[in-house]
Amino acid sequence: MATPVSVLRLPKGPDSNSRGFDPKSPRFIALCRTSIFTSAASEVDSVELQREQQARSVLRETFLRCLLSMTNKKVQFHMYEKVKVEATFGASDIDVLNFQVSDLHTPIGVQKEALIRSQDVISFTFDV
Amino acid sequence: PFSAIYSPTMAMRQTPLTCSGHTRPVVDLAFSGITPYGYFLISACKDGKPMLRQGDTGDWIGTFLGHKGAVWGATLNTDATKAATAAADFTAKVWDAVSGDEVLTLAHKHIVKTVSFTQDSNCLLTGGNDKLLRIYDLSNPEAAPQEIAGHSSAIKKALWCNDDKQILSAAEDKTIRLWDRSSMEEVKTLTFDTSVSSMEYMADGEILVITYGKTIAFYNALSLDLIKTVEAPAPINSASLHPEKDFFVAGGDDFKLYKFDYSTKEELESYKGHFGPVHCVRFSPDGELYASGSEDGTLRLWQTAVGKTYGLWKCVLPGNTPNLLLVTGPAIHSKNTGYIQFFKRLESYC
Repeated sequence: MATPVSVLRLPKGPDSNSRGFDPKSPRFIALCRTSIFTSAASEVDSVELQREQQARSVLRETFLRCLLSMTNKKVQFHMYEKVKVEATFGASDIDVLNFQVSDLHTPIGVQKEALIRSQDVISFTFDV
Repeated sequence: PFSAIYSPTMAMRQTPLTCSGHTRPVVDLAFSGITPYGYFLISACKDGKPMLRQGDTGDWIGTFLGHKGAVWGATLNTDATKAATAAADFTAKVWDAVSGDEVLTLAHKHIVKTVSFTQDSNCLLTGGNDKLLRIYDLSNPEAAPQEIAGHSSAIKKALWCNDDKQILSAAEDKTIRLWDRSSMEEVKTLTFDTSVSSMEYMADGEILVITYGKTIAFYNALSLDLIKTVEAPAPINSASLHPEKDFFVAGGDDFKLYKFDYSTKEELESYKGHFGPVHCVRFSPDGELYASGSEDGTLRLWQTAVGKTYGLWKCVLPGNTPNLLLVTGPAIHSKNTGYIQFFKRLESYC
């Protein structure tokens, strides 16, 4: 005759689109240091910080625009172990963990569709 | 005047909360300490993708991506700002547990099974199939780690104890060894007839909880003297002692979770729910719930006090059972005092 304990809702599961760690969460905002430390001393100099934030925004925007303009273009990837491959760029995932490419030319043949792990890439070049 | 009884626990049935997301068996889990943002839970999974969850609700926060093999061990530092994982890809990794970014990869010569932070998060202890314990200085990760040799087979679990002055390690060689951190020498060894399935350390009280076969054994972590053993109905893979040392929970090959009274050794409750063997079980730092990880790929959260309002569980007074009151305590001089006492108890319960 025991009544099961009521539950407000079920635990939230993983988001299929991202790896999580919501940058808008209070914990992230409070604790997250940027991966490149500010050039100013640990005491925050708001003018210096403003300038740096500006620079970061510009760099980020440039990078994103670069990814956009690469779509359907032939791109050469320079990777670790002296690997150089060429492929037609498709898209990047939201965390820039993988690049989706087509017609990847490798020493052992052409891969019609492939995912390149971005952490394996040192640099990439393409003609605008 | 009042002589009636109300006991919510007798009327309530445990509702475990299932955390899905992993696609393969969950082999290890660990809680952080209590932080200003609550406490957190990390789970190690054979799918290679350890996950971070909010400890009191089981809500997924993020997945640590980067390992290329099964993750055998996972841990968080006390304030949940760092995570460490041990994997079959021969690496241990350190992660920023706020951003999810990989901070360090520590190459090993074989599968890594266990990782443990010192209380100040400055050092990381690792152990695995190469039979060596390694101590990494995280402020100087390029430097070669200190190595402790001695075990004659794969290390399953290694942890810091005695205020990080000593190390405890359990291996497939059926021994548990206590090492001194500064001299790097073996201080004491416990030998068993069978492989130890798990080891948990409780700093407060210096208690070591060990499981092997159907036994849950409690040792003094400093002297390695046996305190007591308790037999469970089935082979046990993991056990955890409540922070207040009044209960302990255990889970194993019969898929069930068992709750025992620590002083009397009496089996109090048992729960079915998992669809596979239970590999790990841990109490939360506030003792209000315990989490279990299973071969079935899920984590489940269980209430310590069934029916209490906590996290996602809500205390709802059952409508159909008669509501009677238990009024205890010093002599009640008036009816009103009795009601106040009752409501105070009910308040604290709900």
